Amino acid sequence: MTAQEICLCGLLLREHFGEVVEKVGTHLLRSGAQNLRTIVHETNLSVDLVKKCLCVLVQHGACSFTVGRKGPGSPTEYHACGERILRVLRYSRYIYTAKTLYGDTGELIIEELLQRGHVTMSSTVKTVADRLTQNMEEGQSLDYSEVSSTFSKLVETHFLQRCPPVGAAGTSGGAAPAEAPATPAAPAAAASTAPPTAESFPECYTLPQVTLTGRGKRQLVPEDGEDQRNAKRAKMTSESHGDEGIYWQVNFERFHQYFRDQAIISAVANKMDQTSSEIVRTILRMSEVTTSPTATCTKPLSTNEIFRSLPASYNIPRHILDQYLTLLVDDPMEFVGKAGESGGGMFVVNLHKALANLARATLESIVQERFGSRSARIFRLLLRKRHLEQKQVEDFAMIPAKEAKDMLYTLLSHNLVQLQEIPKTPDFAPSRTFYLYTVNQLPTARMLLQNCYKTVANLIERRLFETKENKRLLEKSQRIEAILASLQASGAEPEQLSEVEEMISAPEKQQLDVLRLHVNKLDSAENQVDETIFILESYISSTSAS
Amino acid sequence: MAGRGRRTMSFSVDSVGISRGETLPPAVQQPTPVFPVMEQKPLPLTGGEEAEYLTALKQDFRGAMRSLPCFIQPAAAHRDVERYSDKYHLSEKKDGLTDWIIDWKRFPKELRVHISKPPRDGGALTCLGGAPAGQKKKKKVGEKEEVLLKLETLEKKEEQESSEEEGEEKKKQKEEEAEAEEEYDEEEFEEETDYIMSYFDNGEDFGGDSDDNMDEAIY
Repeated sequence: MTAQEICLCGLLLREHFGEVVEKVGTHLLRSGAQNLRTIVHETNLSVDLVKKCLCVLVQHGACSFTVGRKGPGSPTEYHACGERILRVLRYSRYIYTAKTLYGDTGELIIEELLQRGHVTMSSTVKTVADRLTQNMEEGQSLDYSEVSSTFSKLVETHFLQRCPPVGAAGTSGGAAPAEAPATPAAPAAAASTAPPTAESFPECYTLPQVTLTGRGKRQLVPEDGEDQRNAKRAKMTSESHGDEGIYWQVNFERFHQYFRDQAIISAVANKMDQTSSEIVRTILRMSEVTTSPTATCTKPLSTNEIFRSLPASYNIPRHILDQYLTLLVDDPMEFVGKAGESGGGMFVVNLHKALANLARATLESIVQERFGSRSARIFRLLLRKRHLEQKQVEDFAMIPAKEAKDMLYTLLSHNLVQLQEIPKTPDFAPSRTFYLYTVNQLPTARMLLQNCYKTVANLIERRLFETKENKRLLEKSQRIEAILASLQASGAEPEQLSEVEEMISAPEKQQLDVLRLHVNKLDSAENQVDETIFILESYISSTSAS
Repeated sequence: MAGRGRRTMSFSVDSVGISRGETLPPAVQQPTPVFPVMEQKPLPLTGGEEAEYLTALKQDFRGAMRSLPCFIQPAAAHRDVERYSDKYHLSEKKDGLTDWIIDWKRFPKELRVHISKPPRDGGALTCLGGAPAGQKKKKKVGEKEEVLLKLETLEKKEEQESSEEEGEEKKKQKEEEAEAEEEYDEEEFEEETDYIMSYFDNGEDFGGDSDDNMDEAIY
């Protein structure tokens, strides 16, 4: 992991899990796999604290443990996963996607799973039902079955998956043969010691048989000791629902697939028109579950199938569909490709090419916004023509020599453009060597991705700084809000309320407003940078897979 | 630098664009400024409903994480001077991970931290707890409170004979614990002192309360 990634991971851990977990996490990221004693020794924390931190990290999937390097009997080693920690940046996007697809219930289910890491289905359903009941009117409550059905829909579309089973001392449970779904998978004596991925577990999308009947409970306001005791009793009843030991986690890869599809569809909509994007959306929807996340292109689909699956509102005739498909195939962006002639024409969506095009557009846009449109023209030229001499750049870009030179050198100093030397003679004499400018898309994308990580880290730091500066003011306003709320709950007169409100003076209110505006801006900026991070990361991982 | 006395650079050739005699930009003598002037202003952020909702989700999530048991607070920072009341304030922030029920089968054995609650409840409840210092204090107080608790347990048993089947013992223990918790949290019984906890309040939080009642003068 690079220094910027580790820095960003540390900040994310600090914000979501506290400073102690940050310390342990960054230490693990920097030094690779280590056992408990070494971690305790090198971080100078107490053993209990380190154990707690490791539990938190393992619970959230950010850390895995394996048998030590020297074979069984040596202490377990812990290995932090930086990529998983960086996902924390994208949590709000996952929750919002679940909301658009499955409504408030889906949103709360995903939020619950993201907050707790690995949870059983029954406890998730109960908590979500309680939360939704809180927001409903008096006397209404949500039945568990509704939440369960949304949960099963999420599992069917692979947005949720089971956590892989864990054997004793971290040896893998292996791919257990298909068992009755109600019993938790018993870890078999494993031959391999590699930690299993969730996908290698064949049961990872099987719902357990859960007996869950009931309705959401409204949280009781403790009026007297009796009520409180009852509430505590209700909380502590641990009925078994038949799914002990079966834990669920969010399947980030599936969400990423969804985001990638959305990006492709909106790119087609921007470049061509709404109908073409609907056609592409149909193709992608039909290949959702059949395409693996690392596939180069979707499975070929015939025109007949596409025609049948188009949404009912788009009743375009068959020959128009053919024309649209031909246009999509001929487009230089190459989003859609033709894979054969049977069935009226077999069509695929070229996923890797689409990602490469999206990444290229991102790079071009970055250069344009930072250096101006003429530098962007030079950059695009070099991307298209690969290698060009200084003179050719000036000619093709139609920019006067002096300015072209300046721009090229600026781009060169920012490492966006590289110089390739081609010698005529073996001694690389300057007068007898060709110097060609070139742009390599992949290394440039990597470099800009690191820049994005640094950007997000800076944004978070700035936000922490702003909140720290105004800590006193924030605490005061929180206290006043609490007082106001309690007064209102106990039914106070408006004069008392206005008196309390006046405890904050007008300039302080202004300061608070400015602070809130800044914090919101910084948060929103983080989200936007994360969108760029997603495109670049997907592109880089697609090239490494192929 | 090759060629002492000769002022040619290693590759000043036309092909790279530097013609002879042209002024090159001055040599850089110090690191680039930390905040360089931007020639182009950056674009404004995309606003809109979706972006605002995402921001609100993000802030809510962060706030929610702070209240979860996964958020580990380090021990309170040492004040500048040790105060007498510190001894009695220490056991206030001890909840930690007590309400996080961990399935220990999914974790390596060495991470298991057994902190049995003080012997007053008669049953070890395994959960993560605080530093050993807090343990000792709790044990001491536990012994004294056992008598009180036994009386309450008897009361509880009478009440609970009409309740349902299995898991009863656990429920009782947890309830005793809940009762004990409530008792324990009461101000009088903390740490063997004869004074209530507000006696040890060293006045550092003064002035934060609401001054609703302006009738009485405050001296």
